[in-house]
Amino acid sequence: MTASPRGARIARVTGVDQDGVRLLAVGADAVVDALFDDRRIWSFWVRRDTERADRTGLVRHVAWPAVMRPHLRGTTRIVLREHVSGRVLHDGELTFGDPEPGERVRFVNKRGLDIALDKSGRFSPVFGERTAADLEPLLDTMEQVIDVLARAGVEAFPAYGTLLGAVREGRFLGHDSDADLGYVSRHTTPVDVVRESFRLQRAVVDAGFGTYRYSGAAFRVAAIEGDGSVRGLDVFGGFLDGGRLYLMGEIGTEFEESWIRPLGTCELAGRRFPAPAVPERLLEATYGPSWRVPDPAFKFETSERTRDSLNQWFRGLAVHRQEWERRYGAGQAGQKGQPGTTTGRSLAKEIAAREQPGTRVLDVGAGRGRDAIWLARRGFPVTAYDYVPRALTRAARIAVEEELPFEARSLNLDEWRSLMSEGARLARASDAAPVPTVIHARHLLDATDTFGRSGLGRFAAMTLRGGGRLYAEWWTGRGEPEPGLTALSAEQVVGRLERFGGRITSIEEFEAGARGNARPFSVGRVIASWA
Amino acid sequence: MQGKREMAERIERLEAEVAELRRHQVRLAELADLVQELLIPMAQRDEERVEAAIARLQDGL
Repeated sequence: MTASPRGARIARVTGVDQDGVRLLAVGADAVVDALFDDRRIWSFWVRRDTERADRTGLVRHVAWPAVMRPHLRGTTRIVLREHVSGRVLHDGELTFGDPEPGERVRFVNKRGLDIALDKSGRFSPVFGERTAADLEPLLDTMEQVIDVLARAGVEAFPAYGTLLGAVREGRFLGHDSDADLGYVSRHTTPVDVVRESFRLQRAVVDAGFGTYRYSGAAFRVAAIEGDGSVRGLDVFGGFLDGGRLYLMGEIGTEFEESWIRPLGTCELAGRRFPAPAVPERLLEATYGPSWRVPDPAFKFETSERTRDSLNQWFRGLAVHRQEWERRYGAGQAGQKGQPGTTTGRSLAKEIAAREQPGTRVLDVGAGRGRDAIWLARRGFPVTAYDYVPRALTRAARIAVEEELPFEARSLNLDEWRSLMSEGARLARASDAAPVPTVIHARHLLDATDTFGRSGLGRFAAMTLRGGGRLYAEWWTGRGEPEPGLTALSAEQVVGRLERFGGRITSIEEFEAGARGNARPFSVGRVIASWA
Repeated sequence: MQGKREMAERIERLEAEVAELRRHQVRLAELADLVQELLIPMAQRDEERVEAAIARLQDGL
């Protein structure tokens, strides 16, 4: 291929500096790869991803993506190249920041692996940088998972970018970073598709794989590569109903069953895999009619109808979880979240003052375990819950070192199966030996959504019956809160707890900076008990 | 004009109702899954199997 499909032409790149790229864009859009020292790190569309930099709109500017910034230190050779035609638009050395002599810009992760930006704007070791031997274990995992799913009753095949790579190039797309499987269920209603997806995940877990659920119709399998790095293998459920195909998470379109079944085959990295009967139909439904033209900066333009349907049927099982994973992963939640530290008249201190040592504390939304460790050190056996349990790793290590009565567990207030199975587990444990129990919930009600707030009410009703107490604290709307909090009035909180059978024994509000509240925002504090 | 506004309001309400109904799908699936996985061992009063069923359910989340 010599040019992009609509004859796009860029007159020229007029400047490349520490801020980004300035160029003159004429004609239809085109995708450009940015190479640093001969490695493709990023791709962008010259019109879609740039901003006008003069009145004509012909001079455009695009900044280096924010996620790239931490890596931009040192000297590098930058080549800008049209992805499809290979035409070089710029080639020159540039120095970022204030480097050591001879320092080159490097894009490597903590494990020392070369990384680049994938299509979702995340840095990961993309396939283009992996050797065939590195990828063998991923291909093995794909085969094993397809086999497990087949025994559980669904016929899975490479989907999305993995199918595109197989059909167009016979290999993984160089700029892609994860592998996708899809299947089209024999069921025709979302409720059955979700139940089936739950069952399939258990089958994959039983086969010894680690998993992670995204939604009611999609989960990820952890595939371990040759050098020990973990790559996601996503399993997307779909179904046909009334002549339409829905495939999590982007497809909703008129479709014929004969384009899927009976499955055919495709070739990927020298191995044979199942494929939809007419894979070109699925690729067109996924990437549009121009799917044959490579686009490393592809963005889905899913229709509102499809997005709404998929959201409403399948999503909502873990609201805001990705944001929290990013915050904990990037260490942005700051030093004040360190385990065992507490300031002012904290909610944890309130529990220590009012409850007998030995009272079991369920710290719901424990974050990094700051209050949980503080309480465990004072003789309260603590179960620290979070839907990002990885954030509690350090607290768990401290607990082991100090031999504290502490346990970290996963709990998701947006998922009834999580909430109710944990309620059942605790009920069984305390049935054997009844223990006085309290819940600690600091900035949980104001960090979750309405469904999650009701989830806490349900969890309290299940675990505190027989005289247990809930201690909760939240932002009431004045001052500068921590990011991600929603203001709630005392009436809202009281109303919700009462609906789940709680009786309010104490309610207070502290203004910013008032005695007992060193924080720059107002907080409410409630104690409720369950008969 | 009145008719148009009423129609728009009615569409908005219908959309909200559709969304409400659709959101029941995943919750019904959750409850069905819980009942299916836990009811039988509980009815059998097999303590070990109840424990195992809860653990397996949680491992598969």
